[in-house]
Amino acid sequence: MDGAEEGRDTELQRKLDHEIRMREGACKLLAACSQREQALEATKSLLVCSSRILSYMGELQHRKEAQVLGRTARRPSDTGPPDERSPCRGTICISDIRIPLMWKDTEYFKNKGDLHRWAVFLLLQLGGNIQDTEMVLVDRTLTDISFQSSVLFTEAGPDFELRLELYGACVEEEGALAGAPRRLASKLSNSLGRSSGRRVRASLESAGGSGGSSAASPILLPTPAVGGPRYHLLAQTVLTLASVQDGFRTHDLTLTSNEESPAWLPLYGSVCCRLAAQPLCMTQPVMSGTLRVQSWGQVHGILKGTNLFCYRHPGEANAQEDPLFTIAINKETRVRAGERDQTLGAPLTLSISNQYGGDEVTHTLQMESRGALQRWMEALWQLFFDMSQWKQCCDELMKIEVPPPRKPPPALAKQGSLYHEMAIEPLDDIAAVTDILAKREGPPLDVPPHWLALFTEKLPTSKLPIHAPRSPSPPRACPGPRATPWGRPRTLSLDAAPRGRPPLPPRSSSSSSSGSGSPAPRQRSPPAQGFRAKARPWLQSPV
Amino acid sequence: MSYVPGQPVTAVVQRVEIHKLRQGENLILGFSIGGGIDQDPAQNPFSEDKTDKGIYVTRVSEGGPAEVAGLQIGDKIMQVNGWDMTMVTHDQARKRLTKRSEEVVRLLVTRQGLQKAVQQSMLA
Repeated sequence: MDGAEEGRDTELQRKLDHEIRMREGACKLLAACSQREQALEATKSLLVCSSRILSYMGELQHRKEAQVLGRTARRPSDTGPPDERSPCRGTICISDIRIPLMWKDTEYFKNKGDLHRWAVFLLLQLGGNIQDTEMVLVDRTLTDISFQSSVLFTEAGPDFELRLELYGACVEEEGALAGAPRRLASKLSNSLGRSSGRRVRASLESAGGSGGSSAASPILLPTPAVGGPRYHLLAQTVLTLASVQDGFRTHDLTLTSNEESPAWLPLYGSVCCRLAAQPLCMTQPVMSGTLRVQSWGQVHGILKGTNLFCYRHPGEANAQEDPLFTIAINKETRVRAGERDQTLGAPLTLSISNQYGGDEVTHTLQMESRGALQRWMEALWQLFFDMSQWKQCCDELMKIEVPPPRKPPPALAKQGSLYHEMAIEPLDDIAAVTDILAKREGPPLDVPPHWLALFTEKLPTSKLPIHAPRSPSPPRACPGPRATPWGRPRTLSLDAAPRGRPPLPPRSSSSSSSGSGSPAPRQRSPPAQGFRAKARPWLQSPV
Repeated sequence: MSYVPGQPVTAVVQRVEIHKLRQGENLILGFSIGGGIDQDPAQNPFSEDKTDKGIYVTRVSEGGPAEVAGLQIGDKIMQVNGWDMTMVTHDQARKRLTKRSEEVVRLLVTRQGLQKAVQQSMLA
């Protein structure tokens, strides 16, 4: 008993240590970041780690308190049947989350040239389990914030509370005054325009007052003063069993930020998602054993979900063949133990009655022993209890797909981009380049290769991976199915399921500086597509 | 060589001393680097661990100072003149290698199989 508790404690300690290490790593990464997007990702990991640390520490504290006060966990009672049943655990999956936005032409968008962008992500908490979605970049061309990832929580009870929090941060520097000393900042903010000054003052005030002062304390710890981007809580809501449905539903969001907040986004006020739940009683066999059914003889029965499957013998069940017959077990089923139509003096029977239309169909099951009868009755009562607790989740099994582990962005152009293999340095002559080309492409070059046109100052017409180095890069669409010009916002009805990824507008490359020691025209990365840099090749530099 | 954030890294390294070659106004070493903490590590063809964001040698030009000094393609650069290269951005790495005031760079590099080679030579 205590061994199990200790085991759980060491497990929790191990998880806590892991999160602390991850947090330190994220801090270091944040300090080393030069680009804003990297800093945003690092800050997000940092915040998630911090919130997990908080939650684990709270749990440890709670357990220590319980130990000190002498209260122990509920033991399986050895003095008879338990007074209270506990419902079975289940898996909760939330997917296809979409938050509609409501843009309008207010003073915030007067500067038409500047595209304000925000980085947002969702933090989801169920019990002690905290998970996050990927970060999504949002600007005024999008009508909704869509998250592609689905999040899975195991070991949830029917009384679960899934807390959903939306955090956002500006991608551009907040008026470049984020780190400035207070006096200078206030001096400057007084001479700024009305709206930007208001925003600067708001960010300074929020920097002063750390989290934990608000009534509904957000999950996040205050970030260390590293000078990185700041995330603000934009909206939150709590979902429970009542929100679970095998389809899309719209739920209300509680908006927590107002227009003064630096990362304010015009949220419509609702969130659409698919919240599915799979209680264990629906997916795993609750009970199995040998039964004797009237007019069918001896069968092997498996009680799972809303059915009692009866097979000829246990091997058939393992071979996943169709059962001999199936008895439905649902909320309308009535079960009675004991004698009914007592024939041959057999007292160990169980009757299961279902209503099919106007007829009542009763199956009589005969047990091998009194112990078996007891176990089957217990299993059936537990199943009925679970059904009453999990309610609509037990009508039919809801499909849940286990999301694949989030992979790093896939490598681009393994299908043959010269760009990746060459560094164009002054030492190289055409011979080196043609060598590489010949090695890869194979056949001799009778026709002058496409890229030769670059050196004759004609832009290539066909789609090519290479383009001139040191280009100031206007936003350019990457060839492929993801190509999207600076897009029209899509209009989606509030309850429709999104099909595929929303288009991410391309952005111009934020270039790394060419230092004084740079000897030659270096390769520049082409404009990165969206935030996850799926099209950003691996940079190589000659030295 | 897997990297866990926050944990010290241990590796068997080889010292490579490269004397830069003067090419007009520039001092060159004669190789190319790839990688960095701001780059995508999955695209690195030379790394054993695809989450390794270190600096790798992607090309060594023939007859150049790097080849003469014994640098090989696929090497991971751990240090340059005492400066760490395991946790730097691509641009920082390039700058540390191309300082105009330095004519010689002493690198610590590691490559796959180095550890095994050292062990075997100790047994022999």
